[in-house]
Amino acid sequence: MSVFSFYIFDRHTECIYSKRFAASNNAPPPRGAAGGGIQNGDVPASLRKASKDLDETKLIFGTIFSLRRMARQLGGADDQFLSYRTGEYKLHYFETPTQLKLVMLTSPNVGNMRTVLHQIWATLFVEYVVKSPLAPAEHTGGKGVANELFEGGLERFMEAVFRPQQ
Amino acid sequence: MASSSKAARLGEEVWKSRVDKINAEVLTLTYGTIVAQLCRDLTLPATANKTDYAAVNAELDRMGYNIGLRLIEDFLAKSNTGTCSSFRETAEVISKVGFKMFLNVVPQVTNWQGVEGKPQAFGLVFEENPLAEFVEYPDDGRAQDELWYSNILCGVIRGALEMVQMQIEAHFVTDVLRGNDTTEMRVTLVRYIEDEMPPDDE
Amino acid sequence: MPAATTTTAAPPPPPLDFKNSDTIPVLPPSKHQPSLRYPSSGSHRKTIYDRSLSRPPSATSLPAFAYLFNTLITYHHAKSGSVSDIETRLNRAGYPIGVKMLDLLLYRQAAAAPGGFGGAGKSGASGARPTRLLELLQFVHGTLWRGLFGRQADALEQSTTKKNEYMIVDNEPVVNTYVTIPREMSQLNCAAFVAGVVEGVCDAAGFGTEGVSAHWAEGEEMWPGKTIFLLRFREEVMEREEGLKAGGGGG
Repeated sequence: MSVFSFYIFDRHTECIYSKRFAASNNAPPPRGAAGGGIQNGDVPASLRKASKDLDETKLIFGTIFSLRRMARQLGGADDQFLSYRTGEYKLHYFETPTQLKLVMLTSPNVGNMRTVLHQIWATLFVEYVVKSPLAPAEHTGGKGVANELFEGGLERFMEAVFRPQQ
Repeated sequence: MASSSKAARLGEEVWKSRVDKINAEVLTLTYGTIVAQLCRDLTLPATANKTDYAAVNAELDRMGYNIGLRLIEDFLAKSNTGTCSSFRETAEVISKVGFKMFLNVVPQVTNWQGVEGKPQAFGLVFEENPLAEFVEYPDDGRAQDELWYSNILCGVIRGALEMVQMQIEAHFVTDVLRGNDTTEMRVTLVRYIEDEMPPDDE
Repeated sequence: MPAATTTTAAPPPPPLDFKNSDTIPVLPPSKHQPSLRYPSSGSHRKTIYDRSLSRPPSATSLPAFAYLFNTLITYHHAKSGSVSDIETRLNRAGYPIGVKMLDLLLYRQAAAAPGGFGGAGKSGASGARPTRLLELLQFVHGTLWRGLFGRQADALEQSTTKKNEYMIVDNEPVVNTYVTIPREMSQLNCAAFVAGVVEGVCDAAGFGTEGVSAHWAEGEEMWPGKTIFLLRFREEVMEREEGLKAGGGGG
């Protein structure tokens, strides 16, 4: 059971935060996410200019955008997709009414992460990013998201959720 | 979905159990320093101390807008209200959950105009206004005609609703500070905002 | 009310003659032209002129205050060049609040005291203004903090090196609850706003200061937000205090 990466997209379809996690076991991460598996890419989105990373977030956004639309067309205006799974990874999705989109990539055997994503939003993002006075209200280029409190909180939280089971 | 009384119950519940409290006077006085500062900083061209009240109104609205963009996330995370099914429901939730949760007052929703699918507007009448508790306008013969003291609230609602895909227009029409018998804000729905598309998808 | 508009041309008042008169003539009231308007009709009057000041304050949400306080910080941050500049501006923003709080809190104390208004006795119970330094400091540490934040401050200390310096300690300033300071501005303590309030109280009470400032307490493990408010009183204030002490004035 391990988490590969985590992304936040805002209502302007921009990726305002992304983070990769060191794999806690040797399961191969999906293509693109966390190259060697041991790298801790906690760099603010604004500094990450590598085109590979950009391609990856674009790809992820395109995927959730289409899936989201499909879910609504088939299941009604209020329907949301929760996750999808491939042989290599599982993508978990949660969207707030403000169209903040939280995405997490994990190994395929991980269960429902909806409450986890909700908690990241309600207890970490809202408390540490939204209420931070010197951060802008909207995070163009990821500005103001990756502050110390949010980073630290996210790391601790993920560690608790994905603690290797004995 | 949520009827008026349901919204009222939710507002009470959130206020009682999920909100940290502070003496309302601290809020009143802090807001007062903000308005006073703006009245000093924003002066009419070529004058040293004649306040440009129109500019103060606009700046308060802008400040409120920036608060609204943030406050809505806090509001949704704490209240767990889902998407509103109609603008009427939005009005009820703003009054009975939003204002209750943040200011411990419940403005009355009144004077409905329009129906679903047509231009819709409603009024919020404030029996109590914690922002204006100690306020007396400067007796300069202009403030009472030009300043909307609580204009920040218009911006807050505008910013908050924009984040949940509603473009609205809000302004005060009366204020007891101006000598009116009521304090009323009008909120007009301009349109529902469409989802933004990723730039590459045409 | 049409009566107000019918002004019969009143004869000009006779010139005042104090010397040849036993009574001081009272000028006829001049016609009052109010330019301030307030609601006069309606079953419920809700202007500030109709409200009792001693009504206990109601509660509002801390987040609402935090949003306003953050707005204040953002506004001054945008206009400031340095950390000390922001702190000075926040201090100035808090100052008038202190001047008002002194009056308001003393008034409420008087209204709540057993003897009511005019009850003779020590300040603090009767609503008299603090006249001795210790009374003032206790007023700030206790009454002011309770009035603003619902609890008293955590400590009151005198500087060991300078006689005119006192410190009021707050382990967890309420105003900083939702304030995150970026690392490059780690010196900034937005409780400078509260320092301004304290300065306003001291000044209005007649205890002039050379400034009240807010500082982070260094190396606090248990209370990372612990803040020290440093009050530096003016030389005259200290001299007066010495004089009162020497004169045996019991307060």
